Amino acid sequence: MCSEVLMMTKLDLTDGGSMTSEMQNSAAGNAAAGISIRDLNVYYKGLHVLKGINIEIEPKKITVMMGPSGCGKSTLVRVLNRMNDEVEGFRHTGQVMLDGKDVYDKDVDPVLLKTRVGMVFQKPNPFPISIYENVAFGPRIHKIFRSKQQLDECVKDSLQKAALWEEVKDRLKENAMKLSGGQQQRLCIARTLAVKPEVILLDEPASALDPGSASKIEELMVELKRSFTVVLVTHNMQQAARVATKVIFLYKGDIVETGEAPGIFENPTKELTEKYIRGQLV
Amino acid sequence: MTESNLATVTEVVMPWQDSRVKSNYRRRQILDKVMKVLALIAVVVVLFPLLDMLYLFAYKGLSVLSISILTETTSGGGTGSSTGGIENAIVGSCLLIGLSSLIAVPLGVFSGVYLAEFTSLHNKFAEAIRFISDVLAGVPSIVLGYVGFLAFVLYLHWGYSAMASAVTLSILMLPYIIRTTELSIRRVPDSIREGAIALGSTKSSMINRLTLRFALPGIITGVMLAVSISFSETAPLLYTADFNNYLPTALFHQPVGFLTYIVYVYSNLPYQSAHNLAYAASFVLLSFVFVVNLFARVVLKRFSKI
Repeated sequence: MCSEVLMMTKLDLTDGGSMTSEMQNSAAGNAAAGISIRDLNVYYKGLHVLKGINIEIEPKKITVMMGPSGCGKSTLVRVLNRMNDEVEGFRHTGQVMLDGKDVYDKDVDPVLLKTRVGMVFQKPNPFPISIYENVAFGPRIHKIFRSKQQLDECVKDSLQKAALWEEVKDRLKENAMKLSGGQQQRLCIARTLAVKPEVILLDEPASALDPGSASKIEELMVELKRSFTVVLVTHNMQQAARVATKVIFLYKGDIVETGEAPGIFENPTKELTEKYIRGQLV
Repeated sequence: MTESNLATVTEVVMPWQDSRVKSNYRRRQILDKVMKVLALIAVVVVLFPLLDMLYLFAYKGLSVLSISILTETTSGGGTGSSTGGIENAIVGSCLLIGLSSLIAVPLGVFSGVYLAEFTSLHNKFAEAIRFISDVLAGVPSIVLGYVGFLAFVLYLHWGYSAMASAVTLSILMLPYIIRTTELSIRRVPDSIREGAIALGSTKSSMINRLTLRFALPGIITGVMLAVSISFSETAPLLYTADFNNYLPTALFHQPVGFLTYIVYVYSNLPYQSAHNLAYAASFVLLSFVFVVNLFARVVLKRFSKI
């Protein structure tokens, strides 16, 4: 299975040599950051959602969060870029260190944090504006570029990295809603890449897509790993086995088991993990 | 045993063979037709007077309409031979609508944005604003006119004036604009907001670049509705604008003419020329409402394509 993925990556390499050199450039520009979570507790009003979590998320690896619905994996991912701030009754203790700095420190701006930690959601949510404007949205609001030319290049670059450029280069002015579900999701990834994040959070990015589109997203994730820290939430065991470097298995707000993939799927040490993998855990 | 079972099976009458079911079905078929005819009659009853009215005003209006009636100002109040034209009223009405829109549209849209984006649905303060806004929409316009008279004409010493009228009209327009703005912004899916926030967008740039854009057709429809309602208002203007036979030259301390006044007053005068003015004014009013609605539809179609 692993060798298959490697094959795909190799194919991609030969397919677009320029693409990878650009990716290396950007990797040199902003080094992918690691995240270490220490004694993290999260509460929603009275509910204790995450219970004393300790995780190391390494740079340029794919860390996969797994577990049954309601285990807290989405909450955990949303803590990393503070998407939970607006949720009523949200409270946390502990630290989420991004590159040695707690993202919940008072002097960290939650808006600017999101340019370092990007996020892609389960359901593709392109803005109903043109494909170009979707990708340009982030750079525009942050005024990253001074000239139209630089912005054009960034849009092209981001779309290439998201493996969408070839399909949309002749219709950048078209409305993004006209794209297929899989294309929309890749557009959302391109949009996230355009603000040059260091960490990319993917919350079940392929679960709403057909198998073909899903495998394209999967290939893309492996590609992204080269330059970014990737955190993936998924229910799909095969997908996790194919792409993961490290798997974290959560159950009811606790970490049950952490392990390297694909080993954890073949020899889980905990009974709960084994049950989940066999599909016996509800 | 099996034979008798078979026999009973063949004896069973299926619903479609049952005579009771059949006759009942015939009754239901008749009822179906009756309902259809009743609905059609209702439509005709509603539509006929409406079309008749439109025809009357179009016919009468067009037959009296002339360059001079549109370019002359009213004279005297109809002493018989000549009553002039309605230019002062057309200009006055447009001035009032322009001024009141200038006040009500930004205020209303911003209030709607506040309610939709900065308060949760069950926020006490937001609910209070919504309630007050609903009450305001239900206040009879003549009461509002009297309030305008007391507050602007007398208390603020603006006198009968375009400003006093425009502010009164804008109060009348606000609830419609606030409500439609809030509703159309709330219809924008949350996934869009989440996407923008995840890209590091602040709330205001998200509103500017995405939600307002989405909600624009709805907001424009609300504004158009408010504009046509206040364009056809009479009562609050009688209290605040009075009337003027001349073109407006000042916003304060000068009464201003408006179209509905001509319809209201000149149709009661015993002169044909006065009636003609009333018909012309009605025709202009109807055309305006027609054009505004048409415009709203075109805008809605164009923007809902995105």
